[in-house]
Amino acid sequence: MSRAFDLVLYGLLIACALAVIRTKDLLAASIIFSTYSLILCLVWQLRGSPDVALTEAAVGAGVTTVLFLVAVARTSRRER
Amino acid sequence: MRRALTLALLILASVPLLYAVSLLPPVGSEDNPTYTYVVPHYLEEGPEETGCENIVTAVILNYRGFDTGGEVTVIFTALMAVFGVLLIPRPAEKVRQPESAVPVSPVTLFIVRTLAPFIVVFSVYQIINGHSTPGGGFQGGTIIGALLIAASLVMGSERTQRLLPEGVRRWLQPAAVLMFAVVGVTGMLLFGEYLSYPIEGEYLFLRVPFLTLVEIGIGVGGAAIVASIFWAMEGSDG
Repeated sequence: MSRAFDLVLYGLLIACALAVIRTKDLLAASIIFSTYSLILCLVWQLRGSPDVALTEAAVGAGVTTVLFLVAVARTSRRER
Repeated sequence: MRRALTLALLILASVPLLYAVSLLPPVGSEDNPTYTYVVPHYLEEGPEETGCENIVTAVILNYRGFDTGGEVTVIFTALMAVFGVLLIPRPAEKVRQPESAVPVSPVTLFIVRTLAPFIVVFSVYQIINGHSTPGGGFQGGTIIGALLIAASLVMGSERTQRLLPEGVRRWLQPAAVLMFAVVGVTGMLLFGEYLSYPIEGEYLFLRVPFLTLVEIGIGVGGAAIVASIFWAMEGSDG
């Protein structure tokens, strides 16, 4: 069961990573990247490292996403 | 042509890499190098030697304290670099970000306001209990910083910045570096070496307060730095 759940999480991780690369809309890419961090945070927790999971949730999913969004807001939304 | 060349290069590069992977010791095997040198010592003696039930904190603040001291210096230097690039004074055109065309949703405002005290309690708990439960200065500080960013988004940066006036902020930003220096030098005066914590003897009671002080420094500094980077990028001064 937990093995199957792991595989689902890994599948979602790879899907998110590919989606971030393929998306031309930078706003959407930032949000997908935040999803990637949240899934990775679950993976860390399941691997038994709550400290890293907390950091991933706070820094990866929270702060860097906002910084990306500010950067997008101040530049251009489409990738050229 | 270029595509074929890229593919060939990738395959060529992947052969030695995959070969190296095949030489790695099996995952989880007991006699892997990662489990045979310092790790058993940390796991067996860590709580006793450092007073940290959380081994991660024991390693971060105690065994590898110098590395962490270097890391907080790097983070502070990164903030200085962000300021150096983004806060170049432009006297003629004072570019103010136009207010967002979409007003803040009352739902968002309500949720941020309701959750704010709980978020603060959660992160303060993490920072103070970093030596015994998961989390610590870095995590708790980032969460407070994220809360300041959320507050800036719903109430506007200027109202949020009034919580941390500029004079206070300038001293909070290097808090982690300063706290490391204070605790390090105190340890040097009392026990002979920079950043050494008591292991036994009459000063043993100072061990947990020292660790907590460093955690608080990292937390306060981290929060100030995260929020300042956001404010600098947004254009409302760091």
